[in-house]
Parts: sequence; structure tokens; C-alpha cells
Amino acid sequence: MSDNGELFGLIGKLSRLCGTSGDEQDIRKFIMSRLPSDSEVRTDNIGNLIVFRKGAKTPKNKVMICAHMDEVGFIITHITDDGRLKFAPVGGISPAVVFGRRVVFANGTVGVIAAKALHQLSDSEKEKQPKIDELAIDIGAQNAADAEKYVSPGDFCYFAGDYEEFGNGFIKGKALDDRVGCAIMLTLLNEKLPYDAWFVFTVQEEIGTRGAACAAFNIKPDIGIILETTTACDIAGSEGEKRVCELGKGVVVSFMDRSTIYDRELYKLARKAADELGIKNQTKSVIAGGNDSGAVHKAAGGVRTTALSVPTRYLHSPACVMKKEDVTATLDAAREMIKRAADA
Amino acid sequence: MEISEILERLCTADGVSGAETAAAQTACELLSAYTDSARVDNFGCVTGFIGDRNNGRPTVMLEAHIDEIGFIVTYIDDEGFLKVGRCGGTDRRLYAAQTVTIHTEKGGIKGVICTLPPHVQSDSSTAMKTEDIAIDIGCTNRGEAEKLVSPGDRVTIDNKLAKLIGTRVTAKAIDDRAGVAAVLYALELLKGKEAAYNIEILFASQEEVGERGAQISAFNSSASVALTTDVSFAYTPDAKKHECGEMGKGAMIGVSPSLDRGVTNELKALAKEQHIPFQLEIMGGSTGTDADAVCVSHGGIRTGLISIPEKYMHTPVEVVDTEDIKAVGRLMAAFVTGGANNV
Repeated sequence: MSDNGELFGLIGKLSRLCGTSGDEQDIRKFIMSRLPSDSEVRTDNIGNLIVFRKGAKTPKNKVMICAHMDEVGFIITHITDDGRLKFAPVGGISPAVVFGRRVVFANGTVGVIAAKALHQLSDSEKEKQPKIDELAIDIGAQNAADAEKYVSPGDFCYFAGDYEEFGNGFIKGKALDDRVGCAIMLTLLNEKLPYDAWFVFTVQEEIGTRGAACAAFNIKPDIGIILETTTACDIAGSEGEKRVCELGKGVVVSFMDRSTIYDRELYKLARKAADELGIKNQTKSVIAGGNDSGAVHKAAGGVRTTALSVPTRYLHSPACVMKKEDVTATLDAAREMIKRAADA
Repeated sequence: MEISEILERLCTADGVSGAETAAAQTACELLSAYTDSARVDNFGCVTGFIGDRNNGRPTVMLEAHIDEIGFIVTYIDDEGFLKVGRCGGTDRRLYAAQTVTIHTEKGGIKGVICTLPPHVQSDSSTAMKTEDIAIDIGCTNRGEAEKLVSPGDRVTIDNKLAKLIGTRVTAKAIDDRAGVAAVLYALELLKGKEAAYNIEILFASQEEVGERGAQISAFNSSASVALTTDVSFAYTPDAKKHECGEMGKGAMIGVSPSLDRGVTNELKALAKEQHIPFQLEIMGGSTGTDADAVCVSHGGIRTGLISIPEKYMHTPVEVVDTEDIKAVGRLMAAFVTGGANNV
């Protein structure tokens, strides 16, 4: 069993780093600095960080474990004459979590996203959620020349959302999707491995699972294990199957989402393994979302794939919320699954 | 202290309408640098007096409001989520997934306003209703939550002050801590100067729920003249130009049938004479600020309004230019030294 304090310290550090799709270098650098010295490390052409580490035995099946480094963010598309920054989301972001937020750039520039005050809205405007393309980022510039000293089109920026523990064993922060998966992989990589394994920290998941497709092609694994976060809708007013999955009920093992019909045997194996070890586990009650599995299972002639996810509220917002015990359940389930998949 | 540091201290202290204690105490400490009489009254208003009641000079009130918008916990549900009502005009467009602090008797605890992610939400075109807010405080049932939170606790959306480029800053509660900072800046400028007035300071509570603190506290005032300051709308391209001031263009001198024309003209004349950047804010009726309560207090107080242009009012990302705050402070100081006889 791992030291939980260390795991959540790692998650906090990873959550605070910024790296959206195509801008993952800071995350990659951080992870590289924490890899065991006996691992074989390379960065492929698209930016995936591929780590191979020998275990006690060579497995029957070649196993690849994936988590993505990128988070949702924004890219600057245009600077207006009056110095406002027009932007596009990188990854799926609801307009409701964009309005009234602060964003930060790599060079420390701070911006805010809002519009005219509610006092100035017509009755019909009051009911409307402004669309992202109607909004702009204000960095305090008085004109385009002023803004261009700090920001250029093509620059990325990020939600300003601090990582914190709160409530009874909960955490919140930006980019927990999927830095938690990265933290779990780093933790496992630094343990004694029962079998040789490939660990891939992928890029560009949020814009269509692009990095994982290349990684799977290059590695050609027999089995893919995707470590992820998944939508939990167990909030006030949400009942029955609409809750999708719930915090406090353990690791989520998926049988199907919008990108993948998961390998049935691996699904059953993951749930059985978790049950046998007393690891809380659940599945999703709605076919929703998708992850790197979508690319991996179709790659290189087909890869048997399973996904182990941490149930997460408010995904793709500055404040994703998780319960710590679900994170450790996912870590424990992943550790066991690497072992069992080797001979599955 | 730099004006941005004063503003940072003021904005960091929380004070939702009717629960202004932390903000009022911070303002009271800052005011204590200028008078020993600074105190917080029973209604959360900060008051102070500078001068001598027996010197025969008239008294001017310098006023800003100390409260900020926010929420109040109304109910804790079976699963430990909090339902809330609004204190003041909160902006429905920005509720989703905001990090909030619930100000409990034992201190602040964190929460997040529930929302559904894009993966499962089909309609993203409608603003969330306040009645649909549920706050996630990391509890799984009512009993757990009740140990932490009580109905009546106030809630703020978090945002510490951050600097934008140039002299602009962003934070929550700049409405109206910027006004408090302007008054403090005026007092700093007046230090050691001969004043034409005795000065009453009022940082009023409960403005956001209908100018209540100002009404209560101004009843006890002996001022014959008042200068109130609040934030007003700075132009953004989606607004109407004629309904806004411009950020960075100085103090917005209010012109309104409800304000004293003599005070207003004096402010304009002083701004011109002393090269203080200013612009006019012309309103058809009342002003929607504490000026409305102050000017009709007891027998009537001749009241002027000087506003600070602000973008994104009533959001956690309000933006103000500290040069505009200084302009308002300079104008107030000019008025206090400028001579009662001119009014």
C-alpha cells in the first residue's frame, strides 16, 4: 500500500501545473523528474512520454497503462483593437464555467472573463448563458498594442483554480482530469513491479484522444489499462441512473461509454479482482463520456482494453471534486489489474 | 501603503450584507490610522470623526458601503448539500462550479457550487437559477454537514485580489471596498492639512440589500453635507456607451435630480481647477447607491456622489483602475479643504 499523504501531495502539485492539449511540456518535465532511475524513458514524436520498466517477471501479455497529461484550457485566437483577447476552448468546456472566471498565462499575466453587469441586462438577456464566442479575456489592456506586449495569438491560458482538501476526505482542483491518473501511474511506477510494463503519459486526450492512438500503435500492447476520471452526477436533485456513478463508492469500471465497448472479460476480471481484495468498485449507469480507450482499443489491429476511473464531480471546470478514498481505491485496483492482466 | 495593498486587505476580508464583521473590522483598523474615534456600530457600520465639534465648522460625511454581495444558507439537504438565498444582486451567469467559502461560527469552510459537466449536459444556453444552487461541502449526509454549517451562515465566491497589467486590479468585493479605499486615500491626503470641515466617516452596512445601513447610521449624523462614493459601470463593448463611464478616465461625478446641485457643481469646479481626471455620470432619478438614503436622512443632507468606474460589477472578477480610486480620493480631499463657503 502506498503512502496516501505522498499520493495527494503529488496530485496537488500536478493539479497546479498547467498543460492543455499541445502544451503538455511542463507536465512531462515534472513527471520525468520523478521516474525511477531503472526505467527506460522516451518522448515520442507527438509528445507522449513512454516509460518501460522491468518487473520481477516477463508477462504473457504486453500490458500498457495510460493516463493523459493534458487538461482543458483556452487558446487565444485574436486580439481586438481595444485590447481584449478572443479565445477558443481547448477541449469540452461548458460556457457556464467560463463566465466570471480568472485565467492565467504561462508568463504570469492574469485575465478575467465576464461581460456587462447584470444590472444592464434586459429581461431576456438575464435568462441567457453567454456563449464562449461572445466572450473575451480582459487582461487590463487599454488597446491592442498594450495587450500584445503580454500575449500573442496562439498562446494558451488556464483556469485559476487552487488545489485544496475540504469536507470529510474530499479534494478539489483544476485538471484533476487526468493528473490523478498521472499521479497513480507515477506511484505504481515507483513501486516494485510484479511484471514488465509500459506506462504511457499521453498528450491531446481532450481534443480527441490523439496521443494515445500513436502510443498504442508504437507499443502494440496486448492489453490496455486506461486510468482516468469519469463524470459523477451524484449531486442535489439528481436521482437514480442519472447519477452515473457516485463519490465514495469506489473505482469505476466501465463496460461501455461513447467511445468504447470494453473487453467483457477484462471488465469482469477488474470487478472480480476488486471484490476479492475488498476494494470498493462500481460501474456507470449512463453511456456517457469517453477517454483514451477509444483510440487504444482500435489501434494496431485491436487492443483488449479496460478503464479504471475515479468518480469526479464538475469535470472540466476550475473545481473538479473527488473523494480521496476513491482515488486510493483506483490506485489499488490498478495495481492488482496490472498483475492479473499480465496472464489474462 | 499603496492603494492596491489597501484594496487587497479590504477585499480579502469578507462581509456579505448583514454579516460585515470581518470587512468592517479591517476597515476600522485602517481608519484608526486617522482617528481614535473609529468604531463598528451595532449594525455593522464603521464610523469615525475627525475634527472638533466646537470649532464652528460644518461637518461633511465621507461615505462608502462596506458590505458585499453573496449568499445565505437557507437549508441543508439529506445528502449534505446546502441550499441558499441571495444577499444582493448575484450574477446567475457565473454560479456553476464556483469555489465558495461558507463563513461559519467556527471559521470559513470550502465548498463548490454543483453543476453538470458538458459530457452529460445538453442545454448550456440558459443561466442557472439561484433556487437551483446546491453547494457541495464534501459531506455525505445532513448530520455531517450540520456539524460544520448552520442556516444563516453567509457564503462568498472566492477570489483574492490579483494585478492585471498597468494599474488595474481584479478581485471580489471591489464593489464597494474601492469606495472605502478612496475615502481612506482622501484622509491620507488630508493628513496635516487645514480642513474647511469637520469630517464624519461612514462605511455603511447592507447597501446591497437596499441602502439600509446608511439609512440607519445617517440618522445619527450631524453632517450638513455628504460625499458618497460607490462603483459604477465602466464601458465594455457589449454595453451602451451612454449608460457607462470609462475606465481610467477618472472620478465619475454623479449628476441627478436626487443629488444636491450645489455640491455637484462644486465637485466639477474643483476637479477642473485641480486637474483631477473626471467624467460625468448623469442619471434621471435616484442613484441606486447609499446617496439615496443619506440625502433624505433626518432633515436632509446635501449630498454629492462620486463613483469609481468598474467593469463586471457583482462578479468575483470585478475590475477597477487604482488611478480612478485615487482620483475620487483626491476630489474628496479637495472638497474638504476647498471651503464650505463655495457650496
